[in-house]
Parts: sequence; structure tokens; C-alpha cells
Amino acid sequence: MTTAHSEEALKTLMLLSLDGDEAAYRHLLNALRILLVGYYGRRMGAATKADMEDLVQETLLALHSRRSTYDRERPFTAWFFSIARYKLIDHHRGRGGRKLAETELGEDIESDFSEEAVTARMDVERLLGSLPEKQRELIRRVKLEGQSVADTASRTGQSESAVKVGIHRGLKALAEKLRGGA
Amino acid sequence: MRKTDDIIESLVGELKPVPRHGLQRRFVLGILPALAVSLVLMLTIAGLRPDLSQALSLPLFWIKSAYNALLAIAAFLAVYHLARPEGSQGRFFAAAAAIFAAMAAAAAIQLLLSPAETYPALILGSSALHCPFLIFAFALPVLAGNAWVLRGAAPTNLRLTGFIAGLAAGAAGAWVYSWFCTENGMPFVLIWYSLGILLTGALGSLLGPRLLRW
Repeated sequence: MTTAHSEEALKTLMLLSLDGDEAAYRHLLNALRILLVGYYGRRMGAATKADMEDLVQETLLALHSRRSTYDRERPFTAWFFSIARYKLIDHHRGRGGRKLAETELGEDIESDFSEEAVTARMDVERLLGSLPEKQRELIRRVKLEGQSVADTASRTGQSESAVKVGIHRGLKALAEKLRGGA
Repeated sequence: MRKTDDIIESLVGELKPVPRHGLQRRFVLGILPALAVSLVLMLTIAGLRPDLSQALSLPLFWIKSAYNALLAIAAFLAVYHLARPEGSQGRFFAAAAAIFAAMAAAAAIQLLLSPAETYPALILGSSALHCPFLIFAFALPVLAGNAWVLRGAAPTNLRLTGFIAGLAAGAAGAWVYSWFCTENGMPFVLIWYSLGILLTGALGSLLGPRLLRW
């Protein structure tokens, strides 16, 4: 997920769109179109390209006509991918369910966008935001993105032990914040 | 086939600001008038119970009223959440079970305190056979209101949403009916009112997948 397609960026565009900002809406629809091609591409297996394009269009139309059901206080991607998922199931149902076997209605990719995952990620980001930038960067690379300590050390130009110490201090500071209820 | 670019452009061209709380407004607009229709139907076809002024001082009357009102509120709240694509029924079934259990307790207490020869009156009353069907009838306007609301919303679990929307309409219809019904038996309410509410729920779950698709 690139920054342009992050929950925060998409939600900002959606909120502007709900207030009638056409440029934001155009950006939003184009970004979602790309996300949908990926989403349906992974799930539709041998489906024809035209079929998929159809579904992408139908989902964008559905988003448009149902946009009043988006609650501005809640994560946008959870709302949006629920629509995408519904349209996918409906698409297969419309074909008498014959193709359902080809579809993987797995939770793997949606789970990136599920409401809990999104809120959890936002919580983590908020906590990290309270740390000094150096520690935050190290924790993000090693603990969130799963890079190795050695990689991180060479990329940030520090020694491995400095990376380990930075992470250790950062985590300790986070634990204190959590305990203090901050 | 239209190209996606064209579709995006036409959607952007059609964009109008969406009022905040649009979905709440749609619920109010759809359900309150439907409830009013149901009340007017009851007043014109059946009429208020003749002994209403005495009944208003009976706890039994208010327990009956509260049972239906609480069920309706719980169900409407669940439908409100289910009207959004990512929504779920939350704790609706636990809440409904708790309300039903409280009503069952009230019924049991009333039976324990009453002599056995009054049991037929408390359980079957004089209207057991038509009560569920009248509740069903008074629920229909509200069910139609629910369908109108939901057809403009985005439920993704259509059968469940239809079922709970049916229960909500059934409980609202039962509440309307309770202003006409002269039964004072709690077991009567527990059995026959609940049956009418479930009947409406069953209709809702049948209609949901057909009417609510989008």
C-alpha cells in the first residue's frame, strides 16, 4: 500500500468528495480504480478482462450512489472494501454461483483493510508519533516492516548495536506511555 | 461497454454534496410516517381498547408496551448498523434474548401469583388466534418503510438485514396493537405477541435477498 493509497489519504479525499469537491472526487475514483483492479485481479482467477472492468465500474457506481452510507467517523477503506466484496459476491451469484469455486473469498488481502486492522494501525502510528524521529524510524523498519537489524543499520548508517539500543529505548518509552495511559 | 474513464468523469460531473447524517435522516423519514400509518390504521379499524383509561394505571399494560417498544428499538438500532456495508448486527441477538427472558420472567411470576383456573385466560385469552395476524397486519406499513429506507442504503447481508428489519417492524406493529388489545396476561404477550413479531421477521428474511439487492 503506497502513501497515495493509505487509509488516511483516501479518507481525506472521501471527506472532501462528500462536501462536493470534484477534483478530490476524481482523484479518489482513480485511486480506487487501481486498488479495485488489484483486488478483483487477485480474486477472479481466469475471469476475462472485460468481466473485471465491468465489476470495477459497477463498484465505482455503487460507491457513488451509496456514498451517504459512509460514516465520516469511521475508516474509509473498511467501508469501501465491504462494497467491493459485496459486489464480487453478487457478481458470482448473478452467474448462478457457477464460478464461485474459482473465487478466493479469503480474508488475506481485505484483512489489510479491515476496520480493526486499520484502527490498530492508526493507534500504532499515533503512539509512534510521540517518539523522537530516529527511534520511530528504527522501530518502523525493524518491528513493523520486518527488515533485519543489519539491513536497517547499513541503510541508516548506524552500527547494529546502535540500532538495537535505539529500538530498545523506543519500545521502553512506548511501554511507559501505555502504562501511564498517555 | 463504456470506458471506466468516462464513467469516472460522469460520476464527478454528477457529484453533489452529501448532508451529514444523511442515513439517520432517511431512517427517520422512512420509519416515523410508516409508524403513523400503522397507528391510524389501528385507530380506524380496531380502535383503542375501551377500558384504556383504567388500563393506563395497570403495570401489566406498561410491561406489555415496554416489551414491544424495547424489542423494536433494539432491532431498529441493529438495522441501522446493518444498513452500512461494513456494519454488523452487533449485540442485537443478546439484547433480544435478554428482553425475551425478562418477559418470560414476568409471565412466570404472574402465573405463580394467580390461581390455576385463570391460566386459560392468562395464556390463551380470548384473542390468541387472531392476535399474531393482526400484529402482522399492523407491522406491514412499518416493514414497507424499512424496505424503502434500506433500498437507499447499502446492506451487505441481505437475509439477516431483512430478518431483523422484519422483527423491528413486527415489534413496532405489536406495540401499536397493544393499544387495542385487552389481554392482561403476560404469558399471552410472551407467546402470541412474539409469534406475530417472528412472523414478520420471517417475511423480512424472505423478502430481504429479493428487495434489498443493489
